[in-house]
Order: sequence, then structure tokens, then C-alpha cells
Amino acid sequence: MDEAKQGSDQVFDGLSSISAAAHELKSPLVLVRQLSLMLENAEVSETEKHRMLRQIVLTSEQALRLTNDLTKVARLSDAMFDIEPINPTQLCKDIVCELRPILQANNLDIKLKSCKHPLLLVANRDLLRRIIMNFSDNAINYAGSDAAVEIQIKALSAGKIIRLGVRDYGPALSSDLWRSLRGRLLKSSVPINSRPQSSGLGLYIASQFAEAMNGKIGAIKHRDGATFYVDLQASSQLSLL
Amino acid sequence: MKSVLIVEDDKWLAENYSRVLTGAGYKTTVALNALDAIDAVDDQMPDAIILDVLLTGSTAFAFLNELQSYGDTGVIPIILCTSLASELSLENLAPYGVKQIIDKTIMTPDDLVVALSRVL
Repeated sequence: MDEAKQGSDQVFDGLSSISAAAHELKSPLVLVRQLSLMLENAEVSETEKHRMLRQIVLTSEQALRLTNDLTKVARLSDAMFDIEPINPTQLCKDIVCELRPILQANNLDIKLKSCKHPLLLVANRDLLRRIIMNFSDNAINYAGSDAAVEIQIKALSAGKIIRLGVRDYGPALSSDLWRSLRGRLLKSSVPINSRPQSSGLGLYIASQFAEAMNGKIGAIKHRDGATFYVDLQASSQLSLL
Repeated sequence: MKSVLIVEDDKWLAENYSRVLTGAGYKTTVALNALDAIDAVDDQMPDAIILDVLLTGSTAFAFLNELQSYGDTGVIPIILCTSLASELSLENLAPYGVKQIIDKTIMTPDDLVVALSRVL
């Protein structure tokens, strides 16, 4: 009986994940299709044409990141990951460079706020990069016009935990939605709804990656937006120096 | 010139709708969430609204309820433009001022112009 229930739960989780992935991929596909139809049929200026082509490229790249992450999540249980000491500031600087084109295309600025003291954390570089890219994609979608996205690095618990967060200045989450999100973040076995129009697949992926590195994700509500973060163990290497 | 409020949280999709409708002779305003949409309705009283269903901050249904709370805004024709079209019924939404539901996943840019010419 229990096995049957477990089996049906697994089928349900599988179906809900497929449904969430399908929902999440619809938006970029809709945009790419609309822009392509415009380029095919309408008379647009060279400037407009260039802008639309750039939007198609950036939207496709965002969708591809999601599909790559989904593939990675599906293989998490079978894979072995190198966990190594990582300088989060350097990693985040690389991410800022990588994100700058899509942020500029959205009229958004990006800032990196880091500790003055050097920090090292223990993580898999690829998974951590995917988590921060994921949070950043979320922030880009919900940031207000001409706003900024901030990547923040903090040391917590007397330096034992390193928190990497991505702060957006989008519309505030309602209290009901916030309670629901907090509850789901605490037991994230199902996709987490970050904002009403999102299936929450991105946060689900981030939570799976964080768990694989013995870390956890969370969120902080602000009056003018939200911060989504990942907490990871600090490396003890610096203390040995 | 007729004015249209576009309520769509995908900035680039909203920009494209605006491009299409401006080309067809409409004056457009874009709101990226329901709160901004309510402000835009108060400021400009558009002739029609193109509305996505899943929005940042709250869904389109909260916005539709708000519009129905007042006599002047309750009569603004609404065109829902959503990827959830197959799950919605025009019959159920007609009391909220919804005149047409467009499926984003199969629409062409001209569908917006055709829909507006029907309701205006």
C-alpha cells in the first residue's frame, strides 16, 4: 500500500515537474515566436530589427539555461560533484560580466556588494553558478523599470556560513504569498512559487542544487522587492593561513 | 485616436504589442503589473485593455474585480491575451468585461489589431 502511494507520489511529482517546465518554457517561446513573426511579416526599421534580433538571442539563451538546469537536476542523484573552496567574489564578478548584456537590454543595472575581507566557501562551481544565474534571471523578470539587481555576499554565523543573495527591486510579495513561499522553502520537495505568474521551477532547481552541496536556499521580503539567497559552508582554508 | 492599455509583465512582449498597435494607429500605454495598471486606468481611462492573466504581484482577476467596482471602468472592453486560454471560458469571464480571449501560443501579431477592431 505504502509502495503504491510512493509510486503514485513519484508519478505526480514527475507530472507536476513536467507541467511546471512546460509552463516556464512557454513564455520565452511565445516571445521568440512573436518577434520572429514581426521580423518575417512587418516592415521594421534597421534599428528595430537589430533590437528584436538581440531580444530573440537573449531570450533563447535564458530558455536554454533553464533546459540545461533541468537536465542537470534530473541527473543530480547519479552524478558525482567536485566540491572545492571557491572565492565567491570572483565567481560573482564573472556572473556579473555574463549577465550584463541581458541586463543592459532590459535597462537594468547590476551591482556586486561583497565583504571587504576575503571569503572562501565550499561548493561545486558549476552548481553555484547555476543557482546565482537562476536567482538573477528571476530578478531580471521582476525588477522594476530602470532599477538595479544586486548580488550580495555576506558572512554569517561568525564566518561559518557564506550567504550569496540576489536582490531585486520589483513589486513586493503579498503577505499570503510570502507565507506560502516561506512554507515551501522550508520543505522544498515540490516546485516553489516565487511570484504568482511563475511556476517556481527556477527556485525548485536552485533548491536541488543547494541541497546537493549541503546548502539551503531562502528568501527575504522587502518593502520594494525580494532577496533570494543560498547559504553554504565557509571553507576553513583561510583560517589555516 | 483610440487608446489601449497593455497589461503584460513580459517587458519585451509588451513592447512588441505596443509596436504592433502603434503601427495600426492606436495610442498605447504599458503597465507591467496590476497595480500600475490600476493607476494607468485612473490616469488615462483607456478605450480598451489587453490583459495577460498571470501577472507580477497579483493575477488579472484581482484587476478585473477592481475594474468592475466602478461604473466607468467596468465598461472598458477587455481582451485577455494569455497562454492559459485553453483553461478559460469566455462565458464565465464575460461578466467581468472580457470580450475576447486570445491564445498567446498560437496568435499572430495581427490578431491583436483584429480583436481591437471588433470591440471598439
